[in-house]
Amino acid sequence: MKWKNWFFQREGSYTEELRLDRSELIGGHVPRRLLPDQIVDSVCGYCSTGCSLRVHLREDEAVTVTGTPTYPVNRGMACPKGWEAVRVLQASDRATAPLLRIGRRDWKRLSWNDAINLFVQRMKAIQQQYGRDAVAFLGTGQLTTEELAFLGSLAKFGMGILDGDGNTRQCMASAVVAYQQAFGFDAPPYTYADLEQSDVLLFIGANPCIAHPILWQRVAQRRDNPTVIVIDPRTTETASQATLHVRVRPKTDLLLLYGIAKLLIENGWTNPEFIRNHTTGYQEFASFVQQFDIQRVVNETGVPGHIIKELAKAIGCGRRVSFWWTMGVNQSHQGVRTAQAIINLALLTGNIGRPGTGANSITGQCNAMGSRLFANTTNLLGGHDFTNPQHRNKVARILQIDETMIPHRKSLDYHHILEEVIRGRIRALWIVCTNPAHSWINQQLCHEVLERLDFLVVQDMYYSTETTRVAHLVLPAAGWGEKEGTFINSERRIGRVRKVAEPPGEALPDFVIFQRIARAWGCGRWIERWSDPESVFRILQELTAGQPCDFTGIDGYAHLEREGGIQWPYPRNAPDRRPERRLFEDGRFFHPDGRARFCFEEPRPPFEQPDASYPLLLNTGRGTAVQWHTQTRTSKSPLLRNLYPRQLTIEIHPNDARRLGIRPYDRVEVTSRRGRLVAAAFVTPTVPEGQVFLPMHYPEVNRLTPSVFDPYSFQPAYKHCAVRVTKLGSSLASGQ
Amino acid sequence: MPSDIPPSGPNAVPGHGNWAAELLPVIEGSTAVDGFADYCSGQEPEKLRGRYQALLPATPPGPGEQYAFEVDLDRCSGCKSCVVACHALNGLDEQESWREVGLLVGGGPDLPVLQHVTTACHHCLEPACQAACPVNAYQKDPGTGIVIHLDDQCFGCRYCTLACPYDVPKYHAAKGIVRKCDMCRTRLLAGEAPACVQACPHQAIRIRVVAADQIREAYETHTFLPGTPDPQLTEPTTVYTSRKVFPRNMLPADYYHLRPAEAHWPLVIMLILTQMSVGTLLTGQLLQREWGVEDWQRLAAWPATWSLLMGLVALAASTLHLGRPWLCFRAVLGLSHSWLSREIVAFGMFALLALVHAAATWGGLASYPLWLGRLAGTMATCVGLAAVVSSAMVYAATKRALWNGPSTVARFLLSTLLLGSVTTWWLTEVSVSITQEPPQAVLTSGRRMLATATISLTGLKLLYELSLLRYLRQPHQSALKRSAQLLIGPLGDTMLMRLACGVAGGLLLPALTIETALLEELGPWRLLPLTALLMATVSGEIFERYLFFTTCVVRRMPGAVQS
Repeated sequence: MKWKNWFFQREGSYTEELRLDRSELIGGHVPRRLLPDQIVDSVCGYCSTGCSLRVHLREDEAVTVTGTPTYPVNRGMACPKGWEAVRVLQASDRATAPLLRIGRRDWKRLSWNDAINLFVQRMKAIQQQYGRDAVAFLGTGQLTTEELAFLGSLAKFGMGILDGDGNTRQCMASAVVAYQQAFGFDAPPYTYADLEQSDVLLFIGANPCIAHPILWQRVAQRRDNPTVIVIDPRTTETASQATLHVRVRPKTDLLLLYGIAKLLIENGWTNPEFIRNHTTGYQEFASFVQQFDIQRVVNETGVPGHIIKELAKAIGCGRRVSFWWTMGVNQSHQGVRTAQAIINLALLTGNIGRPGTGANSITGQCNAMGSRLFANTTNLLGGHDFTNPQHRNKVARILQIDETMIPHRKSLDYHHILEEVIRGRIRALWIVCTNPAHSWINQQLCHEVLERLDFLVVQDMYYSTETTRVAHLVLPAAGWGEKEGTFINSERRIGRVRKVAEPPGEALPDFVIFQRIARAWGCGRWIERWSDPESVFRILQELTAGQPCDFTGIDGYAHLEREGGIQWPYPRNAPDRRPERRLFEDGRFFHPDGRARFCFEEPRPPFEQPDASYPLLLNTGRGTAVQWHTQTRTSKSPLLRNLYPRQLTIEIHPNDARRLGIRPYDRVEVTSRRGRLVAAAFVTPTVPEGQVFLPMHYPEVNRLTPSVFDPYSFQPAYKHCAVRVTKLGSSLASGQ
Repeated sequence: MPSDIPPSGPNAVPGHGNWAAELLPVIEGSTAVDGFADYCSGQEPEKLRGRYQALLPATPPGPGEQYAFEVDLDRCSGCKSCVVACHALNGLDEQESWREVGLLVGGGPDLPVLQHVTTACHHCLEPACQAACPVNAYQKDPGTGIVIHLDDQCFGCRYCTLACPYDVPKYHAAKGIVRKCDMCRTRLLAGEAPACVQACPHQAIRIRVVAADQIREAYETHTFLPGTPDPQLTEPTTVYTSRKVFPRNMLPADYYHLRPAEAHWPLVIMLILTQMSVGTLLTGQLLQREWGVEDWQRLAAWPATWSLLMGLVALAASTLHLGRPWLCFRAVLGLSHSWLSREIVAFGMFALLALVHAAATWGGLASYPLWLGRLAGTMATCVGLAAVVSSAMVYAATKRALWNGPSTVARFLLSTLLLGSVTTWWLTEVSVSITQEPPQAVLTSGRRMLATATISLTGLKLLYELSLLRYLRQPHQSALKRSAQLLIGPLGDTMLMRLACGVAGGLLLPALTIETALLEELGPWRLLPLTALLMATVSGEIFERYLFFTTCVVRRMPGAVQS
């Protein structure tokens, strides 16, 4: 160092550390020490938006993630979870070897051979003793499509398991049933471009600003000021950006939607031609909604009459109206009917099959849509029907399996599987890539169910999940970014998931774990064709032939990579190959008569209303855009951990807080009839008086929620129960 | 709401006609997606930067202008992509990002308002960080107005982190330096957008050119953004825009959240020991006049040596606070503007003079002129007092409410006197016990005088500290009210300890020695209560200084929900 530098040093090692250099691969500046020598584009493994992430590799190591600029979904953008997607793969609690529980606390490390043999031995023993249906599995919407299909096929056609379900039950089941009944197939009809082409966008029980931030860019970047209406009890981020926020009383949305339908009909704001040509059940629906006169709707929903009229007029008079919903609708005691009430509005006004329209369910997990088609639980592979002999025959022929291996009934749903454990019929559970001990409703009951099992196998990325900790056998799995495959996003786009890192220790891709189990079980020759993800993808393509979701026209993974993902349908020789396509442009729905159905039912009151002992209404939902579900992954990024409250906070209205003597950041106890928890009070007028809100990412939240389900979809109703909030200790201690 | 828009389309109400349908072009085929697809075809990735051109100014800043962030609050939805992109694209440490997203909430039951606020360095017109920095590690780039931090020049004193009213510069313990946002200067100069601008899915952040005059003019009304520090302090250049009118009760989500600030232990120790050191010399100077040079000379070696020793330990402690202590000499660079530089230089001079003074009292050197020692003593005391005032000014210059100039100067000077009194008292008694030839003055008036001084100084200090609790009665959540809440809340235990030590060491024990003949009765054991007195008082002062740091509320931009 020159003597002058002793006193004044402009540059040196610290400056060098942050030096930026231009990377031609990326087309911009990146830190010199992180200059990539290779880039790989892979669809993100968090939410169903399905952004493509560009992983920067330097000497075969993933160093940074950016959004893929040319991908039609996200156009170079990514949310914080995506930006940190690779970081969470490195964590001290990654599962790196198979573990067997010894006693209550201790674990023994097993070799993969021993672990697989033990798995097969125990499962077979239980099946021999109690019957083949004594074993069940719980899957996910986070595995690749190929893995989901493998799990479902191996379990049902190989191991003879009857019952299996996925965590998609927790987020999408109501939309699935709603679509099946209304359209004849589980088919979200939209493409993201519809968000850009609507005059009127209606978001119902959805907060895309936080839950699907990159999707929201389609709305946020519009310069033509469309009418954005948000129906939500809370003033969410999305509601704040809306033209009109309708603060409906929780779980009265169905009534509001029926009331609007009545106003549309009364005012002639319907599309009689569309109704006549493309729907059935209009007359019955029209007479059914007569009972929902505006006074009743005002009384029950708490929404002022002029707002309801304004809402109806916006829907009735808008040229292109699109309806978007997520968990606020699906996670309800009448989620299916609420979703269908939305679909009915679209049918009434003919707002479907045209640009900027549609009754559009935004899905939750990255591959919920893959799970809906290929999990082989509720539907037979490829959206087929277990009870249909032709479907069974077709699937058996394509998979080259014995047709008798295919069960004649669909699987029980999640909640009834757990119930069968209590009844003692199901003795062993194989949980893959999901965390029910945290996420299932009425958590204490779920814990009791898991404890009852003779054999609980958990296959997961992390040793530390609430469910892994109670397993008998833990199978260490590779995570997103450590394996190959495909995901299907909300707008039915099949996209590629690529390997950018090696799994830690002995962890294996779920695909390989399934292969090893299949071999050890002795499933027969058919499984030999399931040699690698792309081979399985081609089998799945064949299965979709002739189905609404037909994607036989895709020429392997390379085609998907070239096109930036491809939406189904994409049959062989498909005439329409545009990059963004919507369904029903010809007005033909998937019922045999080609018509959509009006489905409706008398609204029912929710399970629990606030009373003197439990005077407040608890709503739950997503906390921040940096948190994902049970936080097994997002909590592993040191940066993301800094961006959300470490401990649970409960949103409470200033008037309720004042009445209860609660000051901001007081520690409070929240009690329901099922359990209790402690949280810090965040006093805010954004939650309505009489209601409180808890973010779902914290393990204690589901201690409070009740075992209430939609009767058709069996989706849990997380968003409505009665609680009591009491103050604990002094607010001034909050800093400690 | 489009209540005035005529209905159109296939379900139009008869009589209104379909004029809108005819006038509006069919959107399909000309969507942003299609435009984007055209754009991307065959042009990846070189021209992608063009996507951000709309978010960058067309021309560079002219004279009297600079670059600034502009945030369209109506587009900020709180996704925090900007925060993570800043981290990733700048290659920052695990938890590090130069951008933050806070939250404002307000409004009434009918119209609640929720507003996320993305914020980074405001690249102020009058950067407090630059004024504070003792090593000139901050530069305001003349061409762009960007406030640049020279990482290799920084020696990690963290003074900028106290000075910035927006809590922008952040210290890295592992690196021993501070780092902050440079508006991605390299990218800007290459025509690329900063990381946060590139990454915002909603295009809420852009770079624009602002005129210094207009920024200054805007702050004549003190308006920057609800819940933020007074912009006149530093004149931040970030422009927040919104079509909304914020309700008057718009408050940061963390507004009522109390969190003790960082303690800065090395600074606590440094301040207490430097004040003890200066105080001991000062008390010596005063006693010398009272007792006469003759008597004092017999004792002078003890306080002089002790003072030197404490001064040196304090200097050592202060370097511990530096991230890169071996560069401490760079502190002279900021003498013209930084109180920290002045403090460091003043205490350096003080230590030298204290050494000369102490050496004179050791007497070993026959040729050592007495006058030189006495002159050194006087000068050391004067320079020391100036240094103590500089210490106070270091904090006063941050313009934080609790650290306001007069009270901080008073607090530090009172500590100097108090610590000087009790230390001198204790040293005198120690020397008397060892040499067994007590100067008459000490045994008679000395004890009473020092005890009275200790009691009155302690009383004054405790009264002042307790008087801070009066802010609890303020109707508004002011910075001082927060300090008071911290004193009875999260830091209540420390406050009690401080009071207990102060009362025991500064009031009860000295009172006991005056009112009773305790010390005489105890004989050689009298050092025990006196040592207890010294330790209690010093501990009390350490607690006081710990609270001085931890109860001083950090000013910052609106924060997110805390827990």
